Amino acid sequence: MNNECFIFNERLDTHLRNRPSELEEAKRNGVKIVGFFPGNYVPEELIYASGAVPLCLIHGGNPKPAETALSSVPRVICPFARALIGEMMLKENPFYSAVDMVVAPITCQHLRKTAEIWEYRGEPEVFKLGIPHQVYDGLEVNDFAERLDALKDKLQALTGNKVTDAKLTDAVKLYNRMRQLLRKISLMRTSNTSVISSMDFIKLNHVSFYADPVFMTEVLEEIYGELAESNTASDNDAPRLLLAGPNIAMGDYRVPELVEAAGGNIVIEEICEGVRYYWNEIEAGDDLMKSLAKGYLTDRVPCAFMSSSAGKRLEFMTKLISDFHVSGVIWYELLDCEVYDSEAYFFTQKLSEQNIPMLILEADYGTADIGQFKTRIEAFIEMVKEEVE
Amino acid sequence: MKELLKLCGFTDKEPETELARIEKVFKRLGITDEDIETGKQRLHKYYDIDLQGLRKVFRLIIKELVNAILAKEDGREKLIYGFMCPGIDLLGSAFMTKSDKVFSIHHSWAFHIVIGCIFGKIVPVLEDAEKTWLKAGAVAHCANVKTIAGPLSMGLFPNPDMLVTSAYTCETSSKTLDILHELYDIPVWYIDHFKDRAITEYPGPSDRVAKLTAESIKRFVEKVQSITGFEIEDDLLIQVKETKRKLEKAITEMRKIVINSDPLLISSSHENIWGCLLSLTSTIDGIEEATDAINMLCNELKEKAARGEGDVEKGAPRVLAICPAGQTDPRLEYLLCEVGIAVVGIDFTMGEKSKKHSDDPYLEMALGSQQVSLELPPYGRIPLIINACKKLKVNGVLDRYHVGCRAVVADALLIEEAVKKELGIPVMVMEWENFDPRSYNHQQFKNRLEIFREMMIENTGNKS
Repeated sequence: MNNECFIFNERLDTHLRNRPSELEEAKRNGVKIVGFFPGNYVPEELIYASGAVPLCLIHGGNPKPAETALSSVPRVICPFARALIGEMMLKENPFYSAVDMVVAPITCQHLRKTAEIWEYRGEPEVFKLGIPHQVYDGLEVNDFAERLDALKDKLQALTGNKVTDAKLTDAVKLYNRMRQLLRKISLMRTSNTSVISSMDFIKLNHVSFYADPVFMTEVLEEIYGELAESNTASDNDAPRLLLAGPNIAMGDYRVPELVEAAGGNIVIEEICEGVRYYWNEIEAGDDLMKSLAKGYLTDRVPCAFMSSSAGKRLEFMTKLISDFHVSGVIWYELLDCEVYDSEAYFFTQKLSEQNIPMLILEADYGTADIGQFKTRIEAFIEMVKEEVE
Repeated sequence: MKELLKLCGFTDKEPETELARIEKVFKRLGITDEDIETGKQRLHKYYDIDLQGLRKVFRLIIKELVNAILAKEDGREKLIYGFMCPGIDLLGSAFMTKSDKVFSIHHSWAFHIVIGCIFGKIVPVLEDAEKTWLKAGAVAHCANVKTIAGPLSMGLFPNPDMLVTSAYTCETSSKTLDILHELYDIPVWYIDHFKDRAITEYPGPSDRVAKLTAESIKRFVEKVQSITGFEIEDDLLIQVKETKRKLEKAITEMRKIVINSDPLLISSSHENIWGCLLSLTSTIDGIEEATDAINMLCNELKEKAARGEGDVEKGAPRVLAICPAGQTDPRLEYLLCEVGIAVVGIDFTMGEKSKKHSDDPYLEMALGSQQVSLELPPYGRIPLIINACKKLKVNGVLDRYHVGCRAVVADALLIEEAVKKELGIPVMVMEWENFDPRSYNHQQFKNRLEIFREMMIENTGNKS
């Protein structure tokens, strides 16, 4: 990170800068740090309730780790997965270096192989969390709940702390509140004025994966209050856009930056990894582990790696387009993400039936394509503007 | 045409109706007289077509493809296609044995052999798939999934009543079927389990994972029962499994003969043929016919060994190849022979058999499916490769990776590192597309393989 302010909120910005040293201090006091891969399939509540610090490993965008990984994996592994492998090899990222154990949800092949390579290299310890790729009925929820039980056992063994119902209930409440606040902030963008830019909202999400959740929630309350009260209504007539894609990593801000610079206004993100899934909360029932399984697996819109997900995500995206008055979609996929690339065709077809144009951008973390991106984004925004007018 | 069919094991005794069916299918597939000539040349060039057992195998494969394409016209009421779905060969055979109103097939395997290997005409099918969502280029979509999307969009195969895949083998196949369902309204079913075995659960299969797989396969069978109206009894599955075991045993026996031969008795361009044969969803009678063909081939290979004949020169460097032989194109395997490299084993066929067994046929299927190379993480797969190298006494490893498959791609450099470190033998890493003949670059491959061969000879000389 450079010395410029990373995020618009000074308290959060300071917190993020101090967080690595805080984590080091916590480790010295015996607290365990548990990293996890993004995608919103790992219940942070469970890690938190075990007394460990959950950290979502969401750094990307910097070409160096992704290139470093090329000595371990060929180029067709996606840049984000390669960045994870590269960070592990470089040992330069204080957040990644802090983790005592990593929870790797078995989502796409790229992240599965990343987890396996980490395991093969021997450190840190990896817990692979199987995710059913298809949910027909309660069987998968039960199976997933069993895997969460196994994760709970693992966390208890790692931390030496028992995950009690009381601790888990508190953790569920805390993370529900965080999701609720992010949702409220996001929903402010449904109106025709933009109270928060997409860049700021994405960064808010990224910080939430590293920050202390109690502090984060407190600051989110504050931010929400300020945004609600502030008179930020403007006559922003920039075309309202939806940003879709598999992953937007911390540091991979080229696309939202170029869109903003070209006069576009991203008002909602439909991103699998990098933006916290905030649309649903965990409904805590009598069996908390089952509640987590249900909340994380079935009460949400499935990611693209899930087997029958394209239709469900199209339905969700169509609703977002309507609710957020979107005029165009920017589809940003990482190079070599074959699942998203397959879906791109389907979404283009279906959205064109609704007269919603879609621009597909495909890139790794290099800089060679910036010029081409700029031109294509500018042309797309011009086209959307003309259609709106 | 008759000459080609003769090369593929059809005899003068075949009923005219059978020949008419083949002609009809070839016509539908766009096979011209010129293609027939090409087919004959390719059969002579790339395969040991004088072996009668091999001809019989080709016959079974062609018949399977013809039966699949004409299934609806033959009065089959329900068509079930499996794709990247472990166990579908066994289940499909059970469905077909149970009812002649159902046709089940892992349809791409026979298609690959006939259209790709024999006629060299798979590229237009891939190009058709690329016109839709499986575009060509840097993304490197797996050409295997193109061979399921292409034939359906081209109308070469009748639309099935159900497509089934596994969601865990690779999500590329399940995503392809997801899009096929959305675009063509083809019902799709997914068999699933958790691919999350801990490092401590190796090398054997995990009971936990097997239980999930078995539950999932059972649900698929229940679904089939609900659409066909018949019941698949455990006894039938056991009977099919026993019949298939004889075929597997015959193929294992044949591989043993080949592995220990010098000169190499038969080139690795035949490996995908054996793989295809194991994946056919024939009825019990068909499986027995396949077993007879392989047994005949074993005897022929023994005779060939006695004559001192082989497909590669005697004393050629021995190699373990990673990933199966080209599924739609035998040229790379043929080139290996030409250069003078004997591929004596392929990691996909060298998996440790599960020592755990169950009387429950579903659990038995599930236990076995975990042990194949593709299913293993590096710490499961690499020791298997190292052991295979030692067992086969190879001089090098051809570490080719199927670029469309991220599961195998990600292991390639780790395999290279481990083999060099532990065995000190040369490894040639090669990016390649297992299902796409366009990835074949003759001059480049030839140059690299020649250097690889020299390295192996030099390395062996230095050691001795």
